[in-house]
Amino acid sequence: MNGILHLARTQLVTALRERITLFWFLIFPVFLLALMGFIFTNVGKTQDLTFEVTIVNLDRGTRGGSFGASVVETFRELATSSAPGHPSLFRLHEPEAGNDPHGYLADEIAALRIGKRAAVIVIPEDFSESLYAAAAGPKSADAPATLVTVHTSGGRTSSEMALGVIEQVVARVDQEILAKLGLFDAARAVTVDQQLIGAESQTFAYIDFLVPGVVVMGFFVAGLFSVPGTILFGRESRVLRRYWVTPLSVPRFLVGFSLGHLALCGVQFACVWILGRFAFGAHVKLFQPLAIAYLVLAIVTFLAIGFLVAALARTPGAGMAIANIINMPLMFLGGLFFPTGAMPPALRAIMLTNPVTYIADGLRASVGVSPSAYGHAASIGVPLAWILGCAVVAAFRLKWDVGR
Amino acid sequence: MKALRALVTAEAHIFVRDKASMTFTFLFPLLFIVIFGYLMGGVGTAEGAKVGLYVAPKVAAARLEAAVAEVGVADVVRIAAIPDLEKAIKDRKVDFGAEWDGTTLRFVYDVRRTQENFTFQELARGISARFELANQGRRAILDVRSVVEGGEARADWFTLVVPGILAFSILSAGLFAVAGHVTSMKQRRLVERLVVTPMRPVALLAAVVIVRLAVVFVSTLVTLSVAILLFHVPFHVNWFLYAVFLIAATLGTMGLGTILSLLVKQPSSASNLANVFSMLMLFLSGIYFPIEIMPAVLRELSLILPLRHMADVMRYVTGVMDMSALRFWVICGVFLAVGVGLLPILSRYVVRVDRR
Repeated sequence: MNGILHLARTQLVTALRERITLFWFLIFPVFLLALMGFIFTNVGKTQDLTFEVTIVNLDRGTRGGSFGASVVETFRELATSSAPGHPSLFRLHEPEAGNDPHGYLADEIAALRIGKRAAVIVIPEDFSESLYAAAAGPKSADAPATLVTVHTSGGRTSSEMALGVIEQVVARVDQEILAKLGLFDAARAVTVDQQLIGAESQTFAYIDFLVPGVVVMGFFVAGLFSVPGTILFGRESRVLRRYWVTPLSVPRFLVGFSLGHLALCGVQFACVWILGRFAFGAHVKLFQPLAIAYLVLAIVTFLAIGFLVAALARTPGAGMAIANIINMPLMFLGGLFFPTGAMPPALRAIMLTNPVTYIADGLRASVGVSPSAYGHAASIGVPLAWILGCAVVAAFRLKWDVGR
Repeated sequence: MKALRALVTAEAHIFVRDKASMTFTFLFPLLFIVIFGYLMGGVGTAEGAKVGLYVAPKVAAARLEAAVAEVGVADVVRIAAIPDLEKAIKDRKVDFGAEWDGTTLRFVYDVRRTQENFTFQELARGISARFELANQGRRAILDVRSVVEGGEARADWFTLVVPGILAFSILSAGLFAVAGHVTSMKQRRLVERLVVTPMRPVALLAAVVIVRLAVVFVSTLVTLSVAILLFHVPFHVNWFLYAVFLIAATLGTMGLGTILSLLVKQPSSASNLANVFSMLMLFLSGIYFPIEIMPAVLRELSLILPLRHMADVMRYVTGVMDMSALRFWVICGVFLAVGVGLLPILSRYVVRVDRR
């Protein structure tokens, strides 16, 4: 027993001392959780983003005034910071008095094309006349709208985001104008609301979906890379041969190695969970019997897959290449970070035979993040079948020493 | 010249026989393109969105249907009951739903589709604004006409990702040519045997550069072709600028590989460091996620990452995004200067005998 525990300790300490192992097994999952947590808990919010937007008002106005000036004023308000230290939504660029607006517009569009502006808004010359005409025109739904032209830059996310915001601002201005003209009765407005489904809890947050995914990813990467790494490098550098001249048997080595791996996964889990819980406020309850059972199942399944890779590869280089080829499809088609949707039959077949899919699904269902798509029988049965299959192949093919 | 030809042939054989290099250079970008093309193609565009519509019995549906049609979604599916609508959303048969009972218009989203719900919510806002006015017998009197200047107007998330993956392929090929291949030759003492021959170190480096350039050309062309043929990404490649950039970037990233190799004590550690370095850059350079949706500190950080600029240039030469000619040439010039400037250092590194 002592030998097994020593081996387990060696495995853990070696992993923690090796900077590269430390990066891939501990720092990388934590980094990924932090990055995706930051990004996707704020997606769609402009947060601290300030769009560089140009507005050129060419509106001649009418005797009744200029609607173009009102629109410009609305954008100027949005370009003013709402609170100290809080950036404004837009940094507005306008032609200075006396500047030729058409020449200025051409320069600004050139700046937009190369990414110096997110959008260029042009209020046309006949804007006010056209608005009055549209407002006074037939009430029928066929009256054409007056158009504000928004130039955006193709292939730039900032431009697309700015366009979305500008469209919302213009829609708001439209309703305000209609209301002022007595053409829109706010009291008769339709109630609009939204409902989120697909989670068992009504307080679902993306981070609750992400934390189990990153935990499973960590276990997957650890199993897939550390087993072939240890076995194949150990075999090639004849480290394993030194073990075999001691009283240590292969089964005892396996138990010790697996215990060490379990401990490494425990450390990894703790890091991810602490970050998710305390930095991002994840509420996912992973400390309950079924969830723990899934976590252990995940570790054992990926350990078995690691042994399968070690059994199939002749050299450490080949082992790493196989692990890398398997890594990406199984990870992304397993729905670890986002739910997977419609896909062609070949990818669907990979998804449906992928143990990661079932483990992630079962784990999320067990903690109440989302309902199980496959049921617990499949979520446990498929990984168990993988463990069995990998064990059989490894038992027949895995060589524990060079030349044997 | 004969020696160089022999070295190039040897280098090419080494590369072709090295399964790990072949995997990373050819298979990795292809796998990525295929998986992400099918999983995420169309994400971020209204044109690909499918809306499920439930209208309560005896309530007029025409105005809502017209409003949905106006925002330009790909498909509208009429659904007979609310539970069926929810099931269709959960099963991803539709992307989001709209329920109209005559007084309340409710939009229903799958909470797990975090990365797409923003687009669906934008569409929903457009639908509700049009529907609201139509309900009072009005249309918007003020609207937005969008004009795309430069770049690719049809660029969706996937169209932006493909040039990023190509840029990453170049980065990997350049970095690992030095911080993997050359360092491994040093580690295995192959370089020591070569430097005692009349071969000049620069000939070995030239052979490495020639083979890597050829590999980068072939691998990026294969990836580009698959993306265009299989997923119809709207690229308009400027082949001259493409070739200029590939040469400059490959040399520049080899220079970066040299720097990484000089930072570590053991040659074998260089590939580990390059691996970590490239993976961090992959996530922080706007390849997977647009830089604009990252926190401010990461946006600033991305400015100093070579991969960010490589991805931007690749988007420019594939016609996805516009860029000033000055910026293009400055980026290429910097990469070229780094590559060419560090070649003598790399040359000295190659012939330097490591302490035992």
